[in-house]
Formats: sequence, C-alpha cells, structure tokens
Amino acid sequence: MSAFDTAYTLLRKGNAFEDFEVGQMFAHHWGRTLNEGDNSLFTALTLAYNPLYFNETYARAAGHPGVVLNPMLVLCTVVGLSVEDLSEAGGPFLGIDALTFHRPAYPGDTLSARSMVVGKRASESRPGFGVVTWHSEGRNQRDELVVDYRRSNLVVMGERRRERDG
Amino acid sequence: MNAHSAAAPQFFEDFTPGDRYRHARGTTVGEPENQLLTKLVMNTAQAHFNEHAMTAGPYGRRLVFGLITGSIVIGLATQDTASQAIAELALDRLRFTAPVFHGDTLYAYTDVLDASDAGRDDAGIVRFRHIGVKPEGEQMVVVFECERSVLVRRRERRA
Repeated sequence: MSAFDTAYTLLRKGNAFEDFEVGQMFAHHWGRTLNEGDNSLFTALTLAYNPLYFNETYARAAGHPGVVLNPMLVLCTVVGLSVEDLSEAGGPFLGIDALTFHRPAYPGDTLSARSMVVGKRASESRPGFGVVTWHSEGRNQRDELVVDYRRSNLVVMGERRRERDG
Repeated sequence: MNAHSAAAPQFFEDFTPGDRYRHARGTTVGEPENQLLTKLVMNTAQAHFNEHAMTAGPYGRRLVFGLITGSIVIGLATQDTASQAIAELALDRLRFTAPVFHGDTLYAYTDVLDASDAGRDDAGIVRFRHIGVKPEGEQMVVVFECERSVLVRRRERRA
C-alpha cells in the first residue's frame, strides 16, 4: 500500500455475500435517461443492424413515435444501475434467465432499476465466494415494467474481500 | 441448401427449426466497445475499466463486461435473424462461459430452435440459440450462449 493509501480512508463500494438476505429489496441508485446519442452509439458499436434502432422514417412506418431504444441497451443500463449494490464487490457474472422485454422504450425515457434477493448459497467450487440470485426489474418514468429477469453472480465473502482489498 | 453459404433469411417463413447459421462478420473488442459502453450504461465495476487495479488480480488485466460481449454476439446475429423483427420478446439461459479481454475477436453462430404461432396473422415467433466464440490459437472458445425469442414479420399475411 502506498503512503496515500494508508493515510486516507477507503470509501468502499459494493456488498459482500454476507450482506445479502433472501427477500431483501434494493431500489438502485440514480436512474438514467437514455437519449438518441446513447442509442446510436450502442447500436453502432454492437453492429445491431435492425433499422428500428437507427432509422426514424422506418421506425415511424412500423408504428413507433420515432426510433426505438435497442433492447440490449435497455438491459445493459438496468443491469448497470444495479451493479454497485449487487455485484461490484467482485465475482464473475454467471448468467441471466427468464428475461422478458415487456414494452418498447424510446429516447427520452428514464429507466430505474430495483432488485430482490431470491437465493444465496456458498460456492462449492470457489472457496471464499457464494452464488447470489436476484430478480431485477427495469421501469420507465411512468413506473411501467420495461424488462425483468433473474440474474446470478459469484459474490465475494467479506473475509476474502478484506484479504484482497485491505 | 448449401451448408457453407446461403442467402440471409428475413421473414418468418424463412426460419426452419434445425437451421444453423454462421454469421459473416466478427469484431475485435477494444476500448470503444468495452470501456465506452460499460461506462455509458452506468456499470460502475472497475474490473472493466481500471487496468491498474486489475494487474494484481488473477486475470492481470481488464475484463470485458459480459453483457457487452452478449450484446455484440446478438448484434453480430441481428442482420440475419431480425431484419424483419417487429419486437425482441425474451432472452433466456444467458451464460458467460469464458472471460473476454481487450483485443479478443468475437464471432457468432445461431441455431434456429423453434418457429411458432404468435396469435396474429402478420408475424410469428422465432426462438434462436446464439453462441459467441473467440479464436484462441487453433481453438474456438465459447464465451457466451443465450436463447432469444423474436417476433418476426411474415412475408405474406396468413389467410
């Protein structure tokens, strides 16, 4: 550790395995308004060649008020907003199951994320880690459900985390 | 159908369960894909954007955010599976099976699992399995898998 690291107190981010209890609810921080630039950039960089996401004339002809937000951008943002509470402390992302896109979202919509802990167990193959499963929801500014899914991560246990981070 | 080259399917009628596609384009993943998009979507985990902090860990370098890998694999498959999509409906069984690092190149493969009625005359539901791989020497390492359901327009409205 550097002299700076010993003289200044670390303001730690994220939760360890022991911090989660089945049934616990999280209303995640910030929210995020997604705009046309976010959508164009994400869609271009992921090569998502569906004109609904980048051609306004095409999207209007298909019955939308304008371009549609790429659903993978919506998903990534809802997961992103949940990371500090759920997975930032460290441990591989294991998977997502039973995901539904309930309605389209459009540029200008503001997404918020919430999650409930639905399962936790110690990992047999990875000492010092446990598997935590959450049910997460992304909602728009009218509190309408946009996406929901079940997500699992390996989550570091507190003691292992202290050894790692000091 | 020639198994090694074929025209891209578009409409619901073009998708037959058992069909397998190799998508023509791959992409190398670098700073714009991982660092930019990870921060853009508010993912605060610095494992994806702090090279210095990661040098002390088991991988020794930054990891690509799994859902950026997943989004790119689905993206690489989109022109051939969703050019006539009305909506993305669902995803299931997303698995991140190997780490992806800056400089890795991703390719996408697709199995058509199912083509079913959507309760409407102008479209049907196609369920795909997507597989994302990266070359590692002579091997192709599977880094991502998922199932995906898409509402796809019919070429001709059902009578």
